[in-house]
Amino acid sequence: MTRLYVFALVLNTASLFIQVFFTVMYSDLETDFINPIDLCNRLNPYMVPTAVVNYILTAVFLFTGNWLSVIFMLPVILWDANKMYKNNHILDATEIFRTLNRHKNESFAKLGYHLVMFFYFLYRMIMALIDSE
Amino acid sequence: MSQYPPPDQQMPAQMQQQSASYRKPRRQYIAHDFSNNQAPPSMQPDQAYNQQPFGAPVPSAPMDTMNNQFAQMNIGNQQQYQGYSQQQYPPHEARVPSAGMPVPLQPQAYPQQPNMYPAVDNNIPSQVQPGPPVPKIPLTPQMPQMPGQPAMDPNQGYQNSAYHGYNSQPAAAYNHLQNVDLLDKTSKVDPYDITKPPPPIILPPDTKVIESAEFANASPDYIRSTLNVAPSNPSLLKRSKLPFALIIRPFTHLHDEDERIPLVSDGVVARCRRCRTYINPFVTFIDNGSRYRCAMCHLANDVPQGLDFDTIKNVSANRYDRAELNYGVVDFLASPEYMARPPMPVVYAFVIDVSFPAVESGMVAAVAHIIRENLDRIPNRDGRTRVAFLCVDSNLHYFKLPSDSPITDSDQGDAEELSSDQLEMFVVGDTDDVFVPSADGLLVTLKDHRQAIDNLLSNLGNMFQNPKEMKNTMGLGIKAAHNLIHSVGGKITCFMASRPDTGVGALPKRDEQSLLNTPREGTLLQSNNKFYRTMAMECAKDQVSVDMFLFSGDYQDVASLSDLPRFTAGQTYFYPSWKSTRHEDSMKLGYELSKYLGTEIGFETVMRVRATSGVQANVFYGNFFNRSSDLMALPALPRDQSYMVEVKIDDTIGRKTMAFQVAILGTSCFGERRIRTITLCMPISSKASDLFASADPVACAAYFSHKACEKALYGNIDDGRQYLLKSLTEMLQVYKKEVSASNVGMGNPLHISANLRILPALILALQKHPALRKGTKIRSDIRSHAIALLTTLPPPYLMQYIYPELYGLHDMPDDAGLPDGETGQIVLPPRLNLSGQSLVAHGLYLLYNGETFLLYVCRGAISMLLEHTFGVSTIEEVPAGKATLLRIENGLNPRIHAIMDKLRDRPGSITYPNLYIVPETSEPSLRQWFASMLVEDQMDNYSKSYVQFLNGIRSNISS
Repeated sequence: MTRLYVFALVLNTASLFIQVFFTVMYSDLETDFINPIDLCNRLNPYMVPTAVVNYILTAVFLFTGNWLSVIFMLPVILWDANKMYKNNHILDATEIFRTLNRHKNESFAKLGYHLVMFFYFLYRMIMALIDSE
Repeated sequence: MSQYPPPDQQMPAQMQQQSASYRKPRRQYIAHDFSNNQAPPSMQPDQAYNQQPFGAPVPSAPMDTMNNQFAQMNIGNQQQYQGYSQQQYPPHEARVPSAGMPVPLQPQAYPQQPNMYPAVDNNIPSQVQPGPPVPKIPLTPQMPQMPGQPAMDPNQGYQNSAYHGYNSQPAAAYNHLQNVDLLDKTSKVDPYDITKPPPPIILPPDTKVIESAEFANASPDYIRSTLNVAPSNPSLLKRSKLPFALIIRPFTHLHDEDERIPLVSDGVVARCRRCRTYINPFVTFIDNGSRYRCAMCHLANDVPQGLDFDTIKNVSANRYDRAELNYGVVDFLASPEYMARPPMPVVYAFVIDVSFPAVESGMVAAVAHIIRENLDRIPNRDGRTRVAFLCVDSNLHYFKLPSDSPITDSDQGDAEELSSDQLEMFVVGDTDDVFVPSADGLLVTLKDHRQAIDNLLSNLGNMFQNPKEMKNTMGLGIKAAHNLIHSVGGKITCFMASRPDTGVGALPKRDEQSLLNTPREGTLLQSNNKFYRTMAMECAKDQVSVDMFLFSGDYQDVASLSDLPRFTAGQTYFYPSWKSTRHEDSMKLGYELSKYLGTEIGFETVMRVRATSGVQANVFYGNFFNRSSDLMALPALPRDQSYMVEVKIDDTIGRKTMAFQVAILGTSCFGERRIRTITLCMPISSKASDLFASADPVACAAYFSHKACEKALYGNIDDGRQYLLKSLTEMLQVYKKEVSASNVGMGNPLHISANLRILPALILALQKHPALRKGTKIRSDIRSHAIALLTTLPPPYLMQYIYPELYGLHDMPDDAGLPDGETGQIVLPPRLNLSGQSLVAHGLYLLYNGETFLLYVCRGAISMLLEHTFGVSTIEEVPAGKATLLRIENGLNPRIHAIMDKLRDRPGSITYPNLYIVPETSEPSLRQWFASMLVEDQMDNYSKSYVQFLNGIRSNISS
């Protein structure tokens, strides 16, 4: 159990950093430090991995029967799955200025979400450590 | 008196009835106008609204005389309009001479701009002539003649008199607000409202650096603001529900020499250190003229020496003579620091589809022929123009074009080399990667390879005479063309008569039929293949622009294909079911393609809009690539498009005026870097009523058209329609609550300010436009093309496209269709409302939307009319559908031709409208098409008539 939550904590921290990166890039675009084509070329490779990380984590929780954690993971994986299903998870440089606000808000929301999850996993990890002793 | 029908005594008895009703329309006009005059003053929005632009009370005596004049001169709508315009200018006539100030308006300075502002042509000269001799205003050294704004701002008269005649008036003067009730019995849609100039911009004194500069504000031909009085704070704008946007049209003509914009050629380009705004007529000189205050950010900048010194002649110059301080629209010749690389040459890469449908329709041969005929029209003043040709079926065909004089070195006369230097064709198989078969000879200069190009184009039709290839890999063709020219940039022109269905960019056939008229219809307007978006980005990055000429009668997926032009500043031209054997089709293509090739386009252009601090240009609409948050990148700068910029106000503006400057930096087709600046300055108010009184209905309609199209493109079509209705409802609601609340009379009026009264009709027409119309099954290709036009047409043409012009030809006034005695311009018959009520049972009507003419022949048209128009005696013999009107040596036919030629003559457009003849006895689809253009009528269950539409809004607002 401890190992599971350490693993979750690591993946979650990675997601957290990626979201910070996204947020920074979006505000760079807003202040014209980067052009939309470069932005999309830099961000798009991360789009699928960030979603996959959450899928893996959820799958692991599911197999180990951590139902509460699965429920906590659900919002973000459903959100990502829906975007992938509609095939608009890839940023489009031609539309980016029109949709920038939406992307920024999403990025902020995810940042907050991963921050909360960070403390949740930390708590679960510590609880697991205490239990195992 | 007009000739149709002939005098009564010659007519059979049953005709006399017709004759009476036939004359009726004119009587109706007169009756209508008299009724207007007898109405109480509050019922005369035109007059009150225009007579007192400075908010002064209406003196009653002049009003009466005006009315009398008005009544006497009233014969038709045309004259009614002229009467209107004359009323518009009394302040000018009355005040300018007495004030003894320079009179700006010189009759000869008005070039003919017939379709846009008729008031300018017809009235102002006659207003000015009786006055004292007209002193000339100071001229720039570059502009020996009267400055060259092609269509001047007719509002300047207002501005000047505001200064000189009314200096004692309070500083802030606004347009007077006048309520009209849209649902009042006497008010109906006046089509002439559309062509009126926007409400004048009345600047407070001391705004301009040169008080007498008449053209300090750019003419509405170049820039129109939805509001000609800016809101002082963001909450006011939000509360008023009015849009705030600029409609920018960088060019009004296809050729530079027709525009005559003052050019600053001495390289002195003064710009603000902080906000980079170019110096303009609204700066203020301080510190004895050694420094100037920027009009946008108020930073004090040093005045460059070049402003007072003519470096070419080496003499001191008067800065007040300089064009950039006198004119709102100015070109600067850019110095080398505005170049990232030497100015690029004109480059055209023609990609021609040679698969079976293209050859069979005759498109290949026709296009090759037209290009060959027009090679000399392609701008090539510096001899650097380069062209490339590619043909595409399921393979790529490259052409290596040998030079005319291949040997220029010492070893000339080498016979072997000569023989090998012939036209070569390389066929590259269907791959997803572009393979370039030859290092050179594919992209060649027009000047040195003329023979080979002539040779290729005259043989192109024969080369692909018997095609077996059904498939077309245009995606690859565009990729290859991009690869050829990407190091230089330029224009890729695609001619395509089928859907690309193999290789990269293949577009699978979508199930159009099952989606039409369903909520998911909008998906048909969205791209079906990401390739075109990705390609568009590649092209935009390399300064490559793509234009599409599409010819298919089958489903071609214009939606996906038009993505490329949309993001590379190109245009989509669509000729559904084009056939070279049909004379009208080849005529249209020949005309449009030759104009297209002759257009003096620009390249590697960027456009930026700067504004007073606290205000920013926020969202951009049109065909370009948004390279950064405030920069529009246009790989090629077309001369026949316009752009929209939405304005956002961040916080309360503490100044008296708000200024905008559009700066367009690009390479002209003559190898120069040029900057065009368009400056607009307007007063600020904190009252919603001032905003409404100065709102421009044409610019508002253009704004709503852009927004609705965006909603249709990225959501679904119904969103677009709903958006239009919602916006108009909210606007009228706010007007009722905040503006007209004090004088609500009896009943339940639907008030709007007089200047905006045409807007509801335009919104209704937009809802019923083929791009957004509900119900009737409109092919998605047609819709996509209509959206492409709605989002690019410059305002005057956009208005024609939304609210077509309707003319009655059977009862034209005597002078209509003939040259005017004074101007030599063809006089147009009066415009009619787009309603069945405008039609009579024996009429002949011409409907024109800028893209097509519809000649509607009513069932009861007498045989003489038919004979004089079509040369046939019964309506059954009249050719239906796309046709050419025969030329008959007779009174009416040449006049119809003259009217059509006059309407076709649009200096800023390449379009050649085709004529469709629609007899009332013809097939239903044709008749329905005509009926669908009568936007004030209810056409089917989905649509509403104008009155129903307004009643619906009224009940929404009251509830």
